[in-house]
Amino acid sequence: VSSDFLNLLERLVNAGVDFVVIGGFAGVVHGCTYVTQDIDICCDFSPATLLALQRAISDLHSVHRMTPKRKKLQLTEKTCGQFKNLYLDTDIGQLDCLSFIDGLGNYSQVKGKSELIEVEKMKVRVLSLDALIKAKKSMNRPRDKEAVLQLEAIKKLKSSQQDL
Amino acid sequence: MAAKSKKKRVSKSESLQTAEIQAAIDYGIDVSMLISNIGRSCTERIIRHQIALNTAEKLRKARRL
Repeated sequence: VSSDFLNLLERLVNAGVDFVVIGGFAGVVHGCTYVTQDIDICCDFSPATLLALQRAISDLHSVHRMTPKRKKLQLTEKTCGQFKNLYLDTDIGQLDCLSFIDGLGNYSQVKGKSELIEVEKMKVRVLSLDALIKAKKSMNRPRDKEAVLQLEAIKKLKSSQQDL
Repeated sequence: MAAKSKKKRVSKSESLQTAEIQAAIDYGIDVSMLISNIGRSCTERIIRHQIALNTAEKLRKARRL
């Protein structure tokens, strides 16, 4: 089955999961031209949010893709507290859920640096361009070098367009 | 008036050639694609990304004949 990030987003929104799109896919939303194979979100890791997230993707054979045997996603109110991040694989794409972003902070701090966009009549929060650049820079990973250059160029191009 | 207008156009064009843009060009990034993308809506960007990703996935699964 092909990945379908719009479907994943739609499921999360419809399930009432409060989240912010971060990482490479946020770069795509801002205009980056690279292709990313997963969608990263930052969300509150309360049992209510994680159980809603689980319900949203319950029919997608979701597994913890970093575990040796790709353990099935089976969260309970008790086990939710064990996780700080979830690295999932589903039938329609990889979904990474983080509770904290280096350089930015926890979910409420990340949410404060996000902007609301409309995608196919869905309202989705996406990390702002400035915050995304800051987060990518703070991770200082060689693989993010091109992303940072693209994002900084996009920032400049957008401000130049506003000046015209 | 014409001279003033021409001068204004030149300065707008030059304003695009900043350090950030030059750094992207030097790295090999096609800035014209970024400019095209900025002109699109978020939905269009996501859909175009999905098409590219699906194509890449199909090519990865392709078998040699």
